[in-house]
Amino acid sequence: MATTRTALSRATLALYGMAAVTLAATASSAFFLWARHASPGMAVAAALPPSLVLGAIALASRFLCNALPLRSAARSSIAIGHAGSAAAASGLWVLTWKSWVPALNAQIATQHLDPDYSLLFALGVMLYVAAVAVHYLVLEIEALREAEDEVLRYRVLAREAELRAFKAQVDPHFLFNSLNAVASMCGSRPLEAREMAQRLADFFRLILRLGALERITLAEEIDLVRRYLAIEKVRFGDRLTTHIDVDEGAAACMVPPLLLQPLVENAVRHGVASMVEGGTIDIKATLEDHMLRIVVDNPADPDRTDARGEGIGIENARGRLSAVSEGRAMLQAAEAEGQFRVVIELPR
Amino acid sequence: MIRVVIVDDELPARELLREFLAADEDCEIVAECANGFEAVKAVAQHDPDLLLLDIQMPKLDGFEVLELLDRSPIVVFVTAHDEHALRAFEVHALDYLLKPLSQERFQQVMERVKRAAGHERQPVAGLATSLRAKPLQRIVVRGEDGAIQVVPVSRLDYIEAADDAIRIATSGNKLRKQQPISEIAAQLDPDRFVRIHRAYVVNLERIEKIELYAKDSRVAILRDGTRLPVSRSGYQRLKELL
Repeated sequence: MATTRTALSRATLALYGMAAVTLAATASSAFFLWARHASPGMAVAAALPPSLVLGAIALASRFLCNALPLRSAARSSIAIGHAGSAAAASGLWVLTWKSWVPALNAQIATQHLDPDYSLLFALGVMLYVAAVAVHYLVLEIEALREAEDEVLRYRVLAREAELRAFKAQVDPHFLFNSLNAVASMCGSRPLEAREMAQRLADFFRLILRLGALERITLAEEIDLVRRYLAIEKVRFGDRLTTHIDVDEGAAACMVPPLLLQPLVENAVRHGVASMVEGGTIDIKATLEDHMLRIVVDNPADPDRTDARGEGIGIENARGRLSAVSEGRAMLQAAEAEGQFRVVIELPR
Repeated sequence: MIRVVIVDDELPARELLREFLAADEDCEIVAECANGFEAVKAVAQHDPDLLLLDIQMPKLDGFEVLELLDRSPIVVFVTAHDEHALRAFEVHALDYLLKPLSQERFQQVMERVKRAAGHERQPVAGLATSLRAKPLQRIVVRGEDGAIQVVPVSRLDYIEAADDAIRIATSGNKLRKQQPISEIAAQLDPDRFVRIHRAYVVNLERIEKIELYAKDSRVAILRDGTRLPVSRSGYQRLKELL
């Protein structure tokens, strides 16, 4: 819809532009002829064909404007490019005059036209420059509108991703299983049970607090992940081991909250939990050349059933990441030889 | 005395069941298993009266365990996932316990177990097969030596009928399973597996080409060169998919 609308308005704008330049050129040059004693009808008849040519050239100058954008092209190349093409356009316009006027004079015996060609050349340059100025104005307005659209789109995407992330966040089965573990410890290990209940409460409180923020440090996110893994460790025992390695620069990076936690939850639920012997979840974060790189590795049974849930989790994380980074971040998930790996790259 | 096997991949969950059972002097735990393989072995070895069975487990889930049992103990599912509840009753599980476990509910279930213990029971295995999640994602087979094989359906080449059993062909191997071909054909994803003949179900991805063999009879030639007969109605089904 949006592209059709823009394309339509562009074509219409171009036509209007061409008509405007033709009209201006015809009117002003006809005025000069009339001032040199040509009849109004004759002046217009003489001015119209060369003006149409100038209108077409002025329209085509849009391509040059596109090729020499105000924001990025060098000032000197913009000046040289348009000065050259202004001279060429005006030269062509004068040339049309020079071939058209004698033909007209030969046809009509009652009047003799004698235009001032240097004045016409100056007029051609002026009109061309005016057309270029209008092109740049239109391009600027379009760019502004696109930028606004883009910002709006990312804002909507970010909000959607947040909502999805919250839904995915609180996996009820994690809570049920953890509470079952608490119930189990109540009889024989009441102190541990109390501690586990505390851990669960702290974890959920932290999720609520961090989830309300726009950005948090990676260190805070890693803290959340550690708390989550500590709870899972009670359930899985020796089957779950973890290894977390975050360098100093990476820890200070800002990330969207709850970006990593669902991915680590995936790594437990669909990874380690699918292995009879369990395995190690390996989280590594580094900062190099202003690029934050986070890698989550875990073993996973290639024959596990119900791989659907994981895909959703990864898609959510990807959507969130692209929303907050305006498309500059990357998330890759790959599985090979029983190892599942998610790589996130986020420019700082 | 009710002889019980506990199956759960999480130690705290097993501990809680153990604690509840310890309070019941009519019960005796004969085995505790941390995964499906151990469960199948323990049931064969101990022939228990009651199986307390988790559903979400690595390699073999609770339903797959039932399919591989050659005895029919009373089955009570123990899980945090209540979306399995309906299926649990369909496979003739006696009852269903939700985590976190309530002791009161556990005692009620044990009363039911004791009442049912003396009676004849429907074998769970056959029913479990027909009520597994559809389409089937993996096939479980128990060999003559008791070894359990799990075959994801993507590795399946074709299945052939052999009397009332089937032979499952996967990359050169053939695994025998006691199951009618019509039953497994109905469980497989109909977009990926086609019954090309009364006695053959084939993985569409493995078909190299179909050749006319004689008037009205065709053969499917698989990537590995295997030739399988295609019946007239099988050819119709193939044509609809291709």
